[in-house]
Amino acid sequence: MVTMAVKRVEIQAAQRLRTLLREYFLDLDAASRDPGRRVAWCSSAGPCELLTALGFEVYFPENHGAMLGSKKVSAKYIPRAVGAGYSPEACSYMNSDIGAALCGYSPLQEAYGVAGPPRPDLLVYSTNQCREVQEWWNFFGRRHGAVVLGVRPPLHLGEVAAEHLRFVRGQLAELIERIEARFGLKMDEDRLREVVDLSSRASTLWRQVLDTARAHPSPLTFFDGLIHMAPVILRRGSQTAVDYYEALLAEMQARVADGVGAVPHERHRLYWDGMPVWPRVRDLSEKFFDLHAVIAASTYCNSWAFDPYDGGDPLLWMARTETEVFINRDEEVKEHFLMEMFQRFDIHGAIFHNARTCPNNTNSRFGMAQRLRQRLDTPILVIDGDLSDARFFSTAQTLTNIEAFIEQLEERLR
Amino acid sequence: MSGSLYVGVDVGSSATKCVLLDGAGRLVGRHVVPSGFDFGQSAEAALDKALLEAGADRSAIVHGVATGYGRERVTVATQRVTEITCHARGAREWYPQVRSIIDIGGQDTKVIHVGADGRMADYRMNAKCAAGTGTFLESVALKLGISLAEIDALAMQCTTDTILNSYCTVFAGTEVIERIKAGQRREDISMGLFRSIASRVVEMLASRDGPVGVTGGVVAHCRAMVRALEEALQTEVLRPPLPQHAGAYGAALIALNRATAHRAPQAVVPTRCET
Repeated sequence: MVTMAVKRVEIQAAQRLRTLLREYFLDLDAASRDPGRRVAWCSSAGPCELLTALGFEVYFPENHGAMLGSKKVSAKYIPRAVGAGYSPEACSYMNSDIGAALCGYSPLQEAYGVAGPPRPDLLVYSTNQCREVQEWWNFFGRRHGAVVLGVRPPLHLGEVAAEHLRFVRGQLAELIERIEARFGLKMDEDRLREVVDLSSRASTLWRQVLDTARAHPSPLTFFDGLIHMAPVILRRGSQTAVDYYEALLAEMQARVADGVGAVPHERHRLYWDGMPVWPRVRDLSEKFFDLHAVIAASTYCNSWAFDPYDGGDPLLWMARTETEVFINRDEEVKEHFLMEMFQRFDIHGAIFHNARTCPNNTNSRFGMAQRLRQRLDTPILVIDGDLSDARFFSTAQTLTNIEAFIEQLEERLR
Repeated sequence: MSGSLYVGVDVGSSATKCVLLDGAGRLVGRHVVPSGFDFGQSAEAALDKALLEAGADRSAIVHGVATGYGRERVTVATQRVTEITCHARGAREWYPQVRSIIDIGGQDTKVIHVGADGRMADYRMNAKCAAGTGTFLESVALKLGISLAEIDALAMQCTTDTILNSYCTVFAGTEVIERIKAGQRREDISMGLFRSIASRVVEMLASRDGPVGVTGGVVAHCRAMVRALEEALQTEVLRPPLPQHAGAYGAALIALNRATAHRAPQAVVPTRCET
């Protein structure tokens, strides 16, 4: 059989993204060494807007965890964290990040020539995503002698009621007061509105970028999304992020107009639920590419696609984004969301990633895959793996599983 | 022998199986060799022996399909298909009525559900863990210093409902030692191992509608595995004449179908990613 090598069509914005990230990490490093500037660490779905508005430079440790996973070095550093008393079954982002810190390693060293993550003056988490962030932040709070503060929205909600939002808004207001008191700062309400507005605009543009994947062929895949979602997390609340997504959206819209697909001869349209398998992103991306299968949509990349800010109370908008985020909802809401996504993106089959150390962002543990399979007559594959610890992932078994899944989809086309 | 031949080669983690079919779909040659370190070489060895049995040479081969973990190494293959599809295809040829196929291999276990139309409707593979696979048995046999055949023979003399409770292969080994220390009969402990595998398989069964077929090396060599599955499922399971060759047989049938199918082949050209 003749095999034809096909080149990927590169996304032009990637070059601009590299520059954006470089400037971001170099500036964080400069801020951490400048006595006149302050650095706050924040969880990825945490209240970063209020930190920016208070003048902090914001760093996101989960991004560092993902970098350790992508660099395939997590398994090297996790044992160090385990030795320090952290369970090997606990979040591998956390364990690898703690282990790397104990060993004095950071992928930022090779990538940007900086010593490592910026030293924090403050660490802020939200338990809207998981309990682990709290203990992760506490480790670094103790290590750096920095204050750790948190927001704890009500968990696993079905309907989000006004009282829930009032409760979370109250926590955000209290958080501001505590930071103001601790650091002698005063929140500028206009600045907070401005940051929230920029955050919302970047998020809306990001959602529009992801929505271009509704086209046949899809102009981008989940794997592209994993790269290009960086600004909506790291630079949320900045004009830089807004400008970036305007450019990316224009490029994706041009691809749709020109019929350019991310995968050649797109034949199967898939959905990815759960965390990425960072150490194996390349293997998986190439496998789907070769099988003419595009992962057109995912829960993960949509996690930072918030509803737009309407210009009203910025803290209420933040409370809503904190509370309504997918990971914090009950099974029924999640199931409804996935059904809508399958329909919206014309999904032929879905892959659920059962991430060993991330139960909170795994949705195959309570029968959801089975229920969706029956309700929608959509084939669903559950793969075992992990977000960062490659020792929980069998490449050969998983790639066979994926090939068999595509064979199953092929049979349905006949 | 003259005429066209269709080859199926299944390179599994433990054994490499080869099946040859003639143009009428008759099985004219087969062989199994250990997979060893060199999958390509073991595939060639199995093919040579199967050709010898068929009394044919390579010039008769029209199409070859490779399956199993080492499928990429099979040079005689013109197509590669996963073992999930191949086992389902092979089992259905023997037993068209089957709706669920349990394949217990050396490295993994699969449960495949087939629709009334014969198409693969769903499948599941075991988690990344040896529990529920042939490796589990081999590991415990090694620890006890006896062969798989001996464990099977002992298990068939079991008189109790003993089952090992440990999920983990390492813990199961410890549990076996504990039970020996407690004075349990080795016949009962041996059967407990097979029941442990059967209980893992049952977890993977999404549906229990229709007849169940079993394939793979473990059921080929161990009658106790079939008995444990029948106990767990509370029904008779269909064990084909060549359970270990089911994947290779299915692969050979796909090779034969490819030559005779009226359907057009897949409309797209396979591609290889270049980054």
